[in-house]
Amino acid sequence: MTAAKSLASRALSWWWGIAATLLATSLCAVLLPTPFMNEVMIFAIYVSGCNFLIGRLGFISFGQPAYLAIGAYCTAFYLFYVGTNPLVGLGVGVLGGLLGAIIIGPFFVRLRSDYFAMVNLALAVVLFYVTQKLLVSITGGDNGLWFLTQMQSTPLLDLTAPAQFLWFAIIVATAVTVMFKYLDGTIFGACCLASRLNEDKLQFIGYDNFKIRLVAFIIANTVTALAGAMYAIYFGFVSPEMGSPSRAAEPVIVTLLGGVGTLAGPLIGAFAYTGMKDVISNLIGNWELFIGFLLVFIMLVADQGIWGTLPPAARALLVHLRRAAGRARN
Amino acid sequence: MRFGPVVAVDRVDYQLRRHEVAGILGSNGAGKTTFFNVLTGYYTPTEGRIFYQGRDITRLSPPQRVALGIARTFQLTSTFDNLSVLDNLVLAFFRSHCRPTTLGLLFKRCAAYRDHEAIIAALHQFDLHPIAARLACHLSLGEKRRMEIAMAVLADPELLLLDEPLAGLAESEIRGVLEVLRRQVGKQTILIVEHKISHVRDFLERLIVMHEGRIIAEGGYEECLNDPQVRKSYWQIDESSDNAG
Repeated sequence: MTAAKSLASRALSWWWGIAATLLATSLCAVLLPTPFMNEVMIFAIYVSGCNFLIGRLGFISFGQPAYLAIGAYCTAFYLFYVGTNPLVGLGVGVLGGLLGAIIIGPFFVRLRSDYFAMVNLALAVVLFYVTQKLLVSITGGDNGLWFLTQMQSTPLLDLTAPAQFLWFAIIVATAVTVMFKYLDGTIFGACCLASRLNEDKLQFIGYDNFKIRLVAFIIANTVTALAGAMYAIYFGFVSPEMGSPSRAAEPVIVTLLGGVGTLAGPLIGAFAYTGMKDVISNLIGNWELFIGFLLVFIMLVADQGIWGTLPPAARALLVHLRRAAGRARN
Repeated sequence: MRFGPVVAVDRVDYQLRRHEVAGILGSNGAGKTTFFNVLTGYYTPTEGRIFYQGRDITRLSPPQRVALGIARTFQLTSTFDNLSVLDNLVLAFFRSHCRPTTLGLLFKRCAAYRDHEAIIAALHQFDLHPIAARLACHLSLGEKRRMEIAMAVLADPELLLLDEPLAGLAESEIRGVLEVLRRQVGKQTILIVEHKISHVRDFLERLIVMHEGRIIAEGGYEECLNDPQVRKSYWQIDESSDNAG
């Protein structure tokens, strides 16, 4: 009975957490500029894949722009050459990302974490070159592909209208968060955590470490491709710049900033990073330099990231205040 | 088994009988752990064959050998430190009893197995129930050893390979682990590598002694320990020179 109660209370607190995040995000969607919030929500989905790779498998990937670009270009190819429905384009982008991860994964997940990071970066460089120089006739090279005006409106939520796209992005980001939360509670999620720390032991209790890493890699990068597809639909445009290796560190930094392996980390990190970028770039010219220093400072002060530091600190403060109040009463 | 010019395990011809409890003794570098690693698939032997229940398993991967019923523990305790004791046991139990595909793991929740009777029984049998919710990284060495053996036993193996299960334990912890091992006698075939061999002599049916990668003695406990070659290589007692002196 007690176990059932504790399970119910945990489930309830979890759903409350999701509901509270949804409410806060919705409030931000109403109060803050739509373009900013759209960017935050898509960025949060983008970072979720990276967060899963680092937080669950211990794999740092500097190649996330490549998987983002795969999703974005698959959607763009569909919307530029084939059809006009953004929802179908989104599906094509996700499918492209899934196939890409299935093809690339078996080669990459065999590598150790440091080599994994570098080989992914190499993939991003190759893909950038391919989209910018090699397949100019298909990708449009540096000019990219424009299809904003070719997209048809969609029922219920019109993805061609930024304000409605934002609600769609919030729904997708929530669905992605719920999916990762679900995975955390599965045997697969436990295997990912186990593989991160002790892959030999995992093998010797009968699990195939390679297959577990491969499935995790496919899930993470399909989510990244989903973010790419959403970028493509939101902007109605793709260019090689989207998958540029010069932006390879961005998702890793934002993952660390938000709090590695935490569920809310990607959203918090995306919000903080995009916010800093927007605010600081409005105030000073060389904003990248300033943001770099600010990030170094934040990570030195809070190495668990914002979400890994603030809630425990707040809880500790609350306990301290309660004790102080108790002492004052006595 | 060869590593460059070094032959770590050399012409070891050894058979285990069903439900037998056997021990391996040898000085450091004798090849005991390498022999274990070859048996469990950590290393593929450069020459020779390994047969299990009449089947050649020389080229099988560790998970494939686990599926056939071979489980092991490690010389240095090997657990999942970022998981709770309970979840360590769930992972060990689930793989051997449910045998799912990797995609199947996506649809099975840990919570559904945490109160499985086999896991609850293992928690009590190995005296882990008071620390079931604790992260493995917060356990003492003795608790980790007990948990590791519990994980191996939960896999319900036919053959249990224990690599120095008493290493680094205090006397009180040794008694706890021995009690656990004693309960497994007769249920599984057990092969133990152990320096503190006198602790396990009660339930050892056979002993082999390795030296420089080779078996130099095989037989009963007393018989092996009184073997002149064993006394010379393991304890550096050279009886021929003693007699001559």
